[in-house]
Amino acid sequence: MSKYLSFQADAFTDRRLLLAALTDLGYRDVEQGEALALYGYQGDRRPETAELVIRRGHVGRLSNDLGFKRTAEGYVPVVSEYDQRTLLGGRFLVRLRTAYSEQAVEEIRRRLAGTVQRTVEGDVVRIRVRF
Amino acid sequence: MREVEFVLDRETGRLEVRIRGILGPACDDVARHARELLGVPVREAPTAEYRLRPAVRPRVRPRGGA
Repeated sequence: MSKYLSFQADAFTDRRLLLAALTDLGYRDVEQGEALALYGYQGDRRPETAELVIRRGHVGRLSNDLGFKRTAEGYVPVVSEYDQRTLLGGRFLVRLRTAYSEQAVEEIRRRLAGTVQRTVEGDVVRIRVRF
Repeated sequence: MREVEFVLDRETGRLEVRIRGILGPACDDVARHARELLGVPVREAPTAEYRLRPAVRPRVRPRGGA
């Protein structure tokens, strides 16, 4: 082994991979723009804005809009406390991070023109890319 | 054979990247792809193998006579 890196940040650096990860989780309708307004479950405008927005109608009856705010570190989720507790059994952000990582690994494999070997042991997925 | 191993924990969302078989800073090219797509790692550690440099010996050719 020549180098070891560990990732678990909440920011998603690549817009295309983030959109693909959201699609993997079933969120295909994503509004894209600049400083889009976010609305709460009662239609109230929230103080935050975001560049990627999933409208609450595509999320759940009592949900708020889900947003992703562009920052220097990447796209940062803007998710209400209620939705963090309830979406995908309270695991929305972990599931999104996992789906995003899978997309990133595939992109790295493509860039390296490598072959892939994948094994799953419980919750742990090992993906070996040889090139 | 050069290898990058990704270990993804679906319980926590943590992703570990282990770059193997690439001597010296050449493995930074692979790490650069990872950083570009995954952001700044919360932990990064070069290993003993990383500190090695590929052995490159200068080739000395005998000069031809003038």
